[in-house]
Amino acid sequence: MKWMKNLKTYTPPAFTVIRDNDRCIRCKACVEQCSFDATFYDEEEDKVWNWDSNCVSCNRCAAICPTEAITIEKRDYSYRRNYSWESHIDGLKKRAIFGGTPVVSMGNDKPYKIYWDHMLLNASQVTNPSIDPLREPMELKTFLGKKPHSISVENVSLKTKLSPQLELDVPIMFAAMSYGALSYNVVEALGRAAKEMGTFYNSGEGGLNKDHYKFKGNIIVQVASGRFGVHKPYLDVGSAIEIKIGQGAKPGIGGHLPGEKVTETISETRMMPQGSDAISPAPHHDVYSIEDLRQLIYALKEATEYTKPIIVKIAAVHNVAAIASGITRAGADIICIDGFKGGTGASPQVIRDNVGLPIELALAVVDERLRSEGIRQDISIIASGGIRNSMDVVKAIALGADAVYIGTAALLAIGCTMCQQCHTGRCAWGITTQDPHLSKRVNPDIASERLINLLKVWSLEIKETMGAMGINSIESLRGNRLNLRGIDLSDRELEILGILPAGE
Amino acid sequence: MKIVIIGNSVAGINAVEAIREKDKISDIRVISDEQTRAYSHPLLPNFVVGDVSRAEERFYYRHRAFYEKNNVKTILGKSVVKVFPKNKYVQLNNEEKVEYDKLLIACGGKPIIPKMQGVELEGVHTLTNIKSADRLKSELSDIKSCVVVGGGLIGSKTAEKLAKKGIKVTLVELMKRVLFPVLDDTGADYIHKELKNLGVKLILEDSVVELKGDKKVKEVVLSSGKKIETDSVVVAVGVRPNLDFVSDSDIETNKGILVNDYMQTNIDTIYAAGDVVEAYDIVIAQKRPIPILPLAARQGRIAGLNIIDSNIKYKGGFPTNSITIGKTSFISMGIVDSDEFEVLQIQNGNEYRKFLIDDNKLVGAILVGNIEKAGMFNWMIQNKFDVSWIKDTFLNSDFGWKYFNKAFRVLRLDRKIK
Amino acid sequence: MKIVKINEDNCIYCHLCEVACIVEHSQSKDIIKAFKKEERPIARCSVEFNYPLSLSIMCRHCDDAPCMEACQNGAMHRDERGYVTVDSNKCVGCWMCVMACPYGVIKRDTRREVWGLSTKCDACPDRKIPACVEACPNNALTFEEI
Repeated sequence: MKWMKNLKTYTPPAFTVIRDNDRCIRCKACVEQCSFDATFYDEEEDKVWNWDSNCVSCNRCAAICPTEAITIEKRDYSYRRNYSWESHIDGLKKRAIFGGTPVVSMGNDKPYKIYWDHMLLNASQVTNPSIDPLREPMELKTFLGKKPHSISVENVSLKTKLSPQLELDVPIMFAAMSYGALSYNVVEALGRAAKEMGTFYNSGEGGLNKDHYKFKGNIIVQVASGRFGVHKPYLDVGSAIEIKIGQGAKPGIGGHLPGEKVTETISETRMMPQGSDAISPAPHHDVYSIEDLRQLIYALKEATEYTKPIIVKIAAVHNVAAIASGITRAGADIICIDGFKGGTGASPQVIRDNVGLPIELALAVVDERLRSEGIRQDISIIASGGIRNSMDVVKAIALGADAVYIGTAALLAIGCTMCQQCHTGRCAWGITTQDPHLSKRVNPDIASERLINLLKVWSLEIKETMGAMGINSIESLRGNRLNLRGIDLSDRELEILGILPAGE
Repeated sequence: MKIVIIGNSVAGINAVEAIREKDKISDIRVISDEQTRAYSHPLLPNFVVGDVSRAEERFYYRHRAFYEKNNVKTILGKSVVKVFPKNKYVQLNNEEKVEYDKLLIACGGKPIIPKMQGVELEGVHTLTNIKSADRLKSELSDIKSCVVVGGGLIGSKTAEKLAKKGIKVTLVELMKRVLFPVLDDTGADYIHKELKNLGVKLILEDSVVELKGDKKVKEVVLSSGKKIETDSVVVAVGVRPNLDFVSDSDIETNKGILVNDYMQTNIDTIYAAGDVVEAYDIVIAQKRPIPILPLAARQGRIAGLNIIDSNIKYKGGFPTNSITIGKTSFISMGIVDSDEFEVLQIQNGNEYRKFLIDDNKLVGAILVGNIEKAGMFNWMIQNKFDVSWIKDTFLNSDFGWKYFNKAFRVLRLDRKIK
Repeated sequence: MKIVKINEDNCIYCHLCEVACIVEHSQSKDIIKAFKKEERPIARCSVEFNYPLSLSIMCRHCDDAPCMEACQNGAMHRDERGYVTVDSNKCVGCWMCVMACPYGVIKRDTRREVWGLSTKCDACPDRKIPACVEACPNNALTFEEI
């Protein structure tokens, strides 16, 4: 064995790699694939060993093993059972040993209530018959942007001047994940899939590599507190510009791309020195009020000659409804609300696990608030953070969203196993790494095909469900809370969600 | 068209295959003084000691059905006496005349017999064709000791094979090392060691002046005055182009038959290929006979294609050799021993690598032990590849594609650059 | 004619092409038996690594194959499908093909009693798509017309 365990830094391994020696043919594929130094080969012994402490359960070795010789098991706590303490012991020890707060990724993983799973959809029976999407046309086309209060028509053509709109063939977009957090090939795959499916990929805060300007027409560009890689050509490539105020993974704190991930191309794209940490401040230092935000929105509108809708993205937090109202009045065309389950971003564990709101509740209250203030048509709503399947999309739209962002779901399609090591830059699946050898593991041909498959299947599932409800256009589903019923929810929760309990 | 090919070995057979790729009709006749179908000459030492026999397909150059399948008529056991270019026929030793429209001379080489007394004695052998091999083989059971004269490829291989049979072998070589033009001192030392391990006695920088005996050879006298008792001798000092029947014709010759880039002799209708010709050596930039099998094959093929008017140029060749003695394999190519060029070399136990570079072009290489990927160097020499940016990696025993520039590698592996 | 196209940008250095090749050329064609019970065949492809590059290389099946030209007894030949293959019953292990191969993809098997054996890609005669291509998890090897 290469290593020796040291009590000084010991916390019990979370996983055990179990290797069936009868099946293991010593092909060493797993050894090469493990990017966390948890697997190695001893030539003298002709044996493959595992160092369980290093295993993050990314399952890359198990996936690559041609003889299915590897299983990874979650290690059970060997501490004495203690309901209140047991999930905190290791975290506490780590802080004490290493003197730092643990950084994690992939969103809040605590067992908070998932409201999607407490809402049931309706289906038509006899009256208002259901529709068969394979026979009847079914419309998923969505326009995001400010809608006029009224329209006037002259000579069969529209006289009202419309605000710029984002046109989506499916109401699902790829969430902001920056080049830097993601590898080049993943951005390439997301861009290709967005282009093929008539939707958008959000560049995130890291600017956009020149190579990916080819996706113009299917790109949303982001301007965040760090302003990395923001310049005129970048804004021009975007079909819309998103101002990121906050994100669900870490509401209220800034972003941090470790220096190891700032490679030559990343540094060029982000316009910052190679190898230095890319730190986005917690606030925009020029935005301290709704008025300031309005200035930034209009600065960006001016810069792009009022041709592009402006999105403002905020994390779902306690007074989200009032904030959304302010954002609408500040002149944003689209608002994105990011729930606490989301977050492909790296984040301090305490923030990730304790700050924010479920997107379901935030979305319901924002939609309700904007409607009651009579400004709902002034802004489109994108829901994001924890959209796991097509039914979450349907429910989000029924709750009032115009469209959704998917981040984690898209990465899962590409290969991600949610091992939560994005921040280490050693992603064994080649997704959140800038190591040129690791990032080859995502083949953009395969990855984009999988993303396209996912969106196609989800679209079909959405159409099927809409058909069942007797709805043939996504427009008719939007804010249609009558098609939702809550189950196992308190009266107060039902009231906030604005839905009836199942059975009523 | 009537095509006559003199010689039934590598060049001739490859010419037949080339012709038949496009021309299924022409009448092809192959004339050979040997009775057997084309066989593998390098296997003759193995044949002698019984590793391989006439009964095995392995011994032959092409399958039994080759001639029938390619619609080739063979005239075996007859030798050509004279070529009559004006009247376009060749005369055989049985007075028969064979007419042709196009003639390919691919009659190979003849063993060089150095000047020494007593070569006519019994027990003195050469080993360049099956007839001589048969003779040696038939006497093998009576042979207790053997002097091999010449430490070239055939000589070394024969010494190795006979020694393995338990025969007391002495190898006499004129130069200071075996395989003189093929290896350098360091490379040859590996062979010396392997041969000694097999019990072969090496006598270097000496030559045979006289073979003594009544009827049968009994003793070998060297120029140094040394005497070796033996009951057999194998003379293997090399081959030279077989010009027996062309020397008094109008066909131009020097050391071998002179040909142009299309393997055509000075007479339009007559082509020549293989060990009999003097073709262009790309490394030393002049014409000379290089009697090696791969070049015979290539020349034969090109001659064949040009006989059917394909207009293909022979780009030239250079010596390449592969030999395994004992447990060690050797590959050498081009110029291997010279002070005029940049030399890169490394010796590491059983591995030896040496490269000669002239003005950033590889001109020669020796690989001992680890011979894999030798062909990549062969390609570089043949194509006068600029090695300035990659030569630093030549000495790495894991040399390979990974050291090339990406664009070049991709083009080559996609077969976009030949 | 289709050959294995090498897409080095996708190679993840997993060696599964070599594993698949060994299995395909084993007696049992059973992965565990091939590796644990039988005399293990030599993989016809080889993976090279020079961080961050890795790629698997195997015979390019040249039109004018220098290995065939160099072969002393016709063991190296073009089969009915057009691929350059070694007749193991003929090969004598003189390594002239190794000396000639411009791609350096012929390997030496020295485990036979009398004769060595040149070992190279035969484009899997028993398969529609070569084993290495099928095994490659990232399309770094594809079977294409070149």
